[in-house]
Amino acid sequence: MTTFIFRRLAALIPMLLAVTLLVFALMSLAPGDFLTPVKAQRDINPTLIAELQKSFGLDRPWYEQYLRWLGNVLRLDFGYSWTYKVPVGQLIAQRAPATILLSLTSLLLAWALAIPLAVLAAARPGGWIDRLTSGAAYFALAIPEFFLALLAVWMAARTGWFPIGGLTSLDHDFLSPPYQILDIAHHLILPTLVLGLGGVAGMLRVLRANVLDVLRAEYVTAARAKGLTERVVLFRHVLRNALNPLLSTIGYAFAGLLSGSLLVENVMNYPGLGRLVYEAFIREDQFVVLGSVVVGCTLLIVGNLISDLALAWSDPRVRYGR
Amino acid sequence: MPRSFPSLLFMSFFAGMVVSCAPKNSTARQNPPLPEGIDTARVEPGHRGGVFIDSTPGEPSTFNPLVSEDATSGGFISLFLDSLVRNNAVTQEVEPGLALRWDIAPDHKTFTFHLRPGVRWSDGHPFSADDVVFTFQAIYDPRFPNRSAFDLSVDGKKFQVEKIDDLTVRLTSPEIFAPFLEYVGGVGILPKHELEPAFRDGTLLKAWNVSVAQKEPRRLVGTGAFRLRSYQPAERIVFEANPHYWRADAKGVRLPYVDFLVTKLVKDANASTLAFATGQTDAEGLSPDNVAWIDRYSSRYGFTVHNRGPSPNTGFVWFNQNPGKDASGKPFVAPHKLVWFTDRRFRQAVSHGIDREGLVRGVLFGRGQPLWGPETPANKKWYNPNVTRYPYDPARARALLKEAGFQWGSDQKLRDRAGNLVEFTLNTNQENQLRGNMATAFKENMRDLGITVNLSFLDFGTFVGKIQDSYDYEAGMLGLTGGGDPAGGISVFSSKGRLHQWYPNQKTPATPWEARIDELMSLQLRTLDYSTRRKYFDEVQKIMSDETPYIYLVTANAYVGLKDRWKNIKIPPLGSLVWNLDELWTPMLTP
Repeated sequence: MTTFIFRRLAALIPMLLAVTLLVFALMSLAPGDFLTPVKAQRDINPTLIAELQKSFGLDRPWYEQYLRWLGNVLRLDFGYSWTYKVPVGQLIAQRAPATILLSLTSLLLAWALAIPLAVLAAARPGGWIDRLTSGAAYFALAIPEFFLALLAVWMAARTGWFPIGGLTSLDHDFLSPPYQILDIAHHLILPTLVLGLGGVAGMLRVLRANVLDVLRAEYVTAARAKGLTERVVLFRHVLRNALNPLLSTIGYAFAGLLSGSLLVENVMNYPGLGRLVYEAFIREDQFVVLGSVVVGCTLLIVGNLISDLALAWSDPRVRYGR
Repeated sequence: MPRSFPSLLFMSFFAGMVVSCAPKNSTARQNPPLPEGIDTARVEPGHRGGVFIDSTPGEPSTFNPLVSEDATSGGFISLFLDSLVRNNAVTQEVEPGLALRWDIAPDHKTFTFHLRPGVRWSDGHPFSADDVVFTFQAIYDPRFPNRSAFDLSVDGKKFQVEKIDDLTVRLTSPEIFAPFLEYVGGVGILPKHELEPAFRDGTLLKAWNVSVAQKEPRRLVGTGAFRLRSYQPAERIVFEANPHYWRADAKGVRLPYVDFLVTKLVKDANASTLAFATGQTDAEGLSPDNVAWIDRYSSRYGFTVHNRGPSPNTGFVWFNQNPGKDASGKPFVAPHKLVWFTDRRFRQAVSHGIDREGLVRGVLFGRGQPLWGPETPANKKWYNPNVTRYPYDPARARALLKEAGFQWGSDQKLRDRAGNLVEFTLNTNQENQLRGNMATAFKENMRDLGITVNLSFLDFGTFVGKIQDSYDYEAGMLGLTGGGDPAGGISVFSSKGRLHQWYPNQKTPATPWEARIDELMSLQLRTLDYSTRRKYFDEVQKIMSDETPYIYLVTANAYVGLKDRWKNIKIPPLGSLVWNLDELWTPMLTP
């Protein structure tokens, strides 16, 4: 087991090297660099531009810049943001909590809705719950997230029931702590729905098919024959076995914790990592881009590792040898 | 879903209700005694209280003036850092700031500033000449490369800064430096007691970054009207009244009147405009194409759209006149085209062929005016109205082209002496919608003269690369933000300049008129006398319009929308939306 974990983690290193190299090469191919907006201002002295270029290392060929960055990373120094003059780690840590919060609430919503609905739908295939949910699921899968986000913003603006974007109200600073929490909850509802609904639809379809499969298994007939109530059969015996394939998707969900909401964050004016990373790409703030890529990749690998381990724990047939 | 959704809705109602009637923390203002050197504002006395809300696209990148390079950060910094003198954006005159008065020695190089006695920093620490000396030390320190160090030196030589006593500082420039006071007015004085440790250990550029602002806002100590209360990245910045501010009204009430200044950070200019149009913010700068629809909401949300008059932004077309060759020996511009582009008559003909009134009507919806020279009327102090104009006159354009040896074939297309078709590619950046429309209109105007223009819309970065590094283009259309002191335009007008776009970084001036501009630009820098400077700079503007290396197009009017509840408002023709935030007040209903 430990060797398995080590092997997976070791696989991170070549992957990170390849991905960061690719990102770096693409960024240097893109026209302009971080200093382009500065160069276009009329009252900036050329000597200052040259000095900045030198201090950012932008006067060197791109592979040299990359190697230098790599060298610093080995010393656990991920560089600092040229825009904000703050270490990359600190900057990501500043924005990450909002994104993690949103990812967790939407993940929670997706699971909380998808699991009971899928079981109920599969219990009576072709029944009204089944037809309603699969209809809704098709619909939800067909709507792109950013469009749903736009609809939500429009709805909020029309009705005034929800705030239009953001995570806190203008007077947040002046509220007492319990009200501050309620304020945040109020702001979270719409983005959570937007991000969560797409997840519900996908999971619902996979889970429903699995539950139907498992329902035909002999041990389910055996459980029923023992005289267990239908509820116990469904939720204790069927569900646990039907969940296995979903566990393997946790990995992707984990990776999406930091990156999945980029579009929605930008549309809904949500103060998370999405806007930071997007702006860093636009401005070509190299180290922030690389830092976020590294975090994203690491989360993907670690997430997959976790879901593999969870699968081994829940499914006795899965074992990882040497 | 049938069960959970209504309950969620209910919860949100509940949360919304609770939030709206939540008790507020006490926000009573402290009232330390007024300083001896108080500045009394000459405005109608008002009442304290109220929150001024605005929004800004993007995010401040820093709160450190030594790092700031963008207008957004600069705007926030100027709220909490004051300078020795202030450049009044409405009158465009220099006014006392932290310095009560100043003397200029007969040599016109030595300036003695007398500081206001009794002024304190926002944390209560006394302000003194040491802070001024420290600020210049920090700016000139080679460990901290920054913009101001270059602005505040003459030919690479720094100003000398000496402390005479606690309230007197002497600044000496190595040569007579015309914009001395204006530039000193742009230097926010830094608190020595707060920043000296970072200065000592060489981390000054990392001080006052966004992370510090978020965690310890009170460490951003200033003398300005406001001090930072909180910063939520990507959400908002809240400033509160600085209890130690050095201005008061005629009744002895310390300014600013408003308690809080809240700026929403939104993702782009559209979101910012929308926030104003829906009554969420108090002030917003508006572009001409947005004025009409926003004005329809003015009575519902109680605001007025004010016309600030012409903006300081210029828009122009230019031809690449660079005779150089690239590394492989290929000329930047095809030689026969370079002959057209360097012929003044060709450029003047193009200028006469542009229907600027049409541009104003069609692209700016009538909210703008034709532009003939490098400064717009917004720059009251330096604008020269008597430059050469090129009104729309296709017949005159054709006459000029004929004089320059061009002729039209039977297909109505223009050809040069050697029979080459007159055709060029105009580059512009794709991000600016109005500019794109202007490029299209320009193409139509040129077609009427028999000139074929191909449009190429580039990413801004690519375009700047062509202009400044690779020079491989024929013509361009861009804008520059003008306004301010002529010294700010040296990189554009001087033939050595980086933004002398038609032929940048020349070793020696390519033409006699460029040599004359170089001479005038250095002459205007070496005298403090306004009328002499004005004479030199008027001539620069005249030459630019005669020789027309930049073919100026139009300037859009600038608009600002403001809620009617604010009194004492002064809207400057250029720069920030409201010049006197510290003097604004709003009549409030008392319960």
